[in-house]
Amino acid sequence: MSRLLLEIHCEEIPARFLAPLSGEFAEGLQAWLRDQLKIELPVARFYSPRKLAWRVEGLPLEQPDQTEVQVGPPQRMCVDAAGAATETGLKFAGKWGVGFDQVRFEQPAGKKEPVAVVTMIKRGRPTRDLLAEILPALITGLHVPRAMRWGRSEFEFVRPIRNLLCLLDGDVVPFELDGVTAGRETWGHRLFHMDHPGKVAVAGPEDYERALEAAGVVVAFAERRERLARQLETLSAAAGGRVVADAELLATLAEIVEYPTIVKGDFPESFLELPKEVLVTSLKEHQKAFCVEDAQGVLLPCFLTAANRPDDPDGFIKSGNEWVLRARLYDARFFFDEDRRQPLKERMEKLKSLTFQRELGSYFDKTQRIAALSEAMASALGLDGTDGRLVAQSCKCDLVTLMVGEFPELQGIMGGEYLRRENAHPKVWQAVKEHYQPVSAEAPIPATNLGGVLALADKLDTVAGCFAIGIIPTGSKDPLALRRAGQGIVRILFEKGWNLNPVRVAALALDGVEAKATKPRAETLAALEAFFRDRVAFQLELAGYAGAVRRAALAAGWTDLVDLKGRCDALAGFGEDPRFASLAQSAKRISNILKDETVAEDFDPARLVEPQELALARQLPALEANPDHGSLLAALADLAEPLESFFNAVMVKCEDPELRAARLSLLFRLRKAFLRVADFGLWQ
Amino acid sequence: MHIQELILRLQRFWADRGCLIGQPYDLEKGAGTMNPLTFFGALGEQPWNVAYVEPSRRPKDGRYGENPFRLYKHLQMQVLLKPSPARVQELYIESLEAMGVDLRKHDLRFEEDNWEAPTLGAWGVGWQVMLDGMEITQFTYFQQVGGMDCRPVSAEITYGIERICMFLGGLDNIFDITWGDVKTDEGVFPISYGAVRQREEYELSAYSFDHADLELHWQMFTAFEKEAWLLLTGPGHFLSAYEQALKMSHTFNVLDARGAVSTTERPGIIKRVRDLTCACARAYLEHAAQGAVRPEADGGKAVSA
Repeated sequence: MSRLLLEIHCEEIPARFLAPLSGEFAEGLQAWLRDQLKIELPVARFYSPRKLAWRVEGLPLEQPDQTEVQVGPPQRMCVDAAGAATETGLKFAGKWGVGFDQVRFEQPAGKKEPVAVVTMIKRGRPTRDLLAEILPALITGLHVPRAMRWGRSEFEFVRPIRNLLCLLDGDVVPFELDGVTAGRETWGHRLFHMDHPGKVAVAGPEDYERALEAAGVVVAFAERRERLARQLETLSAAAGGRVVADAELLATLAEIVEYPTIVKGDFPESFLELPKEVLVTSLKEHQKAFCVEDAQGVLLPCFLTAANRPDDPDGFIKSGNEWVLRARLYDARFFFDEDRRQPLKERMEKLKSLTFQRELGSYFDKTQRIAALSEAMASALGLDGTDGRLVAQSCKCDLVTLMVGEFPELQGIMGGEYLRRENAHPKVWQAVKEHYQPVSAEAPIPATNLGGVLALADKLDTVAGCFAIGIIPTGSKDPLALRRAGQGIVRILFEKGWNLNPVRVAALALDGVEAKATKPRAETLAALEAFFRDRVAFQLELAGYAGAVRRAALAAGWTDLVDLKGRCDALAGFGEDPRFASLAQSAKRISNILKDETVAEDFDPARLVEPQELALARQLPALEANPDHGSLLAALADLAEPLESFFNAVMVKCEDPELRAARLSLLFRLRKAFLRVADFGLWQ
Repeated sequence: MHIQELILRLQRFWADRGCLIGQPYDLEKGAGTMNPLTFFGALGEQPWNVAYVEPSRRPKDGRYGENPFRLYKHLQMQVLLKPSPARVQELYIESLEAMGVDLRKHDLRFEEDNWEAPTLGAWGVGWQVMLDGMEITQFTYFQQVGGMDCRPVSAEITYGIERICMFLGGLDNIFDITWGDVKTDEGVFPISYGAVRQREEYELSAYSFDHADLELHWQMFTAFEKEAWLLLTGPGHFLSAYEQALKMSHTFNVLDARGAVSTTERPGIIKRVRDLTCACARAYLEHAAQGAVRPEADGGKAVSA
């Protein structure tokens, strides 16, 4: 069994492309191994700023032999009456390079008569030869999102390829790509090569990590991330705090260094007067640095970032990063001071020239719509409608501040901070600060109720407005992230337990943009309904309900999210009960029976005759009157057995038309009671 | 490190590596790329290495000479290497050492940063080069210039002179950089960057933010455009037409600094400049194809390094 190692050494590859390229190649290689070597093997992946590498263990030295059956003319044409080969027969044998004695006659399935057959054995080729052919093809076949050319070559890749290392055990797999020939050597860290001008030889695939570590490169991403995480912990503890955790930033740092070292720097304490969010964002975006906070979450005047080398011998790296950060924080403080020279709400006029969406007008227009919507929803929820309007009034003003111009991700947060410092009422600044939440599927929803209302109003206006002018997400196309906005709406309603029908409030939002709509209202409403149904379904999935629960509960109605949640909880609680399978069976039977019938809702129970149906009829009023999903569901479960006996004993569609009508009505009413909780026909 | 010393070292370094040392082009522009030595030099097949300093004006970045880190006008050291050499990163790193940076003691990284100049119909991919966490250079492989695919591809290296000087000197204020020493019979006088440029920063910032006549600038923008198309469509003069495009670009930047260009107008205005620069690029290539210019186009006498 052999080991294969391939390394593509490039000029610095953009960090965001490393993992996708690494994964795509590994999949391609695995597919080829399956197809050509008939073997399923894991592919170890390595990458660093200048390297993409893969290693596979357990390859056969040779490709397995493959047999191929070749089918020829019918036997009667190949052999004459005397049993000798005809010209056709000889020709067929000759075509495949065998003697006529190796031709057999068989009748394959689907043929009417025996035909000439030869079995060819295709000798497996040496794995090394096959690899030399396939590896360059796999590399050039990689999907590179922003490919480039360099020099005079027409070859395209993510960045110029400067070296190829490819070993099958101790031997080079010989191939060439754009003038670069694969060999047994590669480059280490630039720092290492200041004292070692030549390339680094790698004895065999298993020596790869060791050889590179000796040359200053930790080539496994996970290892670099792990080492960075450990240093972050140690250094932040030594500084008397902990890092403000950020998994994305940690991964980025591990992607942009070949040798991972954390460097601690300090910044002047006076910058701590900036809002925490500003410092955290500025450090992350500008300097790829972590903030350090104490146990109370208060920031310390220091930062941690990565260097691409093992040490900082003269302190240049520390002082360099500090220098840059000072300049950045100086800018941030300048923005912060400048922005506060004018009360936030005085920027309303400027919002008139800030386009929200070409057809939907400016952010000034949007603010007016949000305010009306927010007021209406606050009232509907039993909050103070005036408050709803109040919190909306200056919520978009921070979009024209210098700080948000520099850090768009601080939208809302800065508005809230500026209002707080203007001594606005806490409910106002809190609502403004929270109104872009949730910013992702994992991020929290607004904590305050007014913040939740404002967030809903903002998102509803965006979604309804876009739908009204025909911007509707389809497939992978959702340029304005409307699905995320829609999900946010549903999540807020769901988690807040607010009894607002998403379609109804979307219709309310639609009223606000009516004058700008380009699509007929009915069409937009239908699209919004389908859109929100999908969002609600996805919300149930996110909330962790099983498929059967989701399907059954959704089919029984989804626009009242509080009710839906109650039903899902009740159903999830009963999910294990064996009586549900029987109930589901009976529910399906009821649906089938009622399919083509016109049924009256009212019936005279006295018409019924069999004890089984009378028993059901007796239970009906209690079922219909039960307001609580949990106990209704328990009552339905108790119905499983009576229903079974009913179907065993009673023939619903009997001759007597009045009895038949009464039975159908009974079933109709039962199904109606079921549907208050779930469509058990979908319980599977 | 004095500004002038840094410039001299970089010019010496690149001249020794086979670059022509060019001069700044005497019109306002936002970046060294706009100098015809780069814009036209990057087009066509013939080898072309050139390096020069370009004063670059960014009206929006003006801070009246009050911000220690930002300037209306800064100096770029621009290097264009066509075709991009196989050892281009190594060459660049050697240039840092020539500046006096001992890389054994610093942290050097190339982080993705792609470049686009919509008014020039140009884009490329590359990096911002980070030294100890500071961006000191923009490094780009041109893929398109003037709307044309670059064949061959050029490498463009742009050093931010003031930043590098501040950084190497550990200075917290641009205006504290020393430009150079004036030696006279009366003694040696170190001259600061501020002494040479601070008043200029103040006046030029004030001009773009406060005094520039916006109506006049809109008129000029249109007038330059008209003149350019006359030059191109009449005598077919792409160099003088290109100068008009540079003037349009700067005029646009002044208007933009004043917030006089709305987000909706913006793409249209940029396109008017781009249409012109792209037409200049096409006219240049047609002209070059007739074999009228460049004696070096006939193959050159390749000398191995």
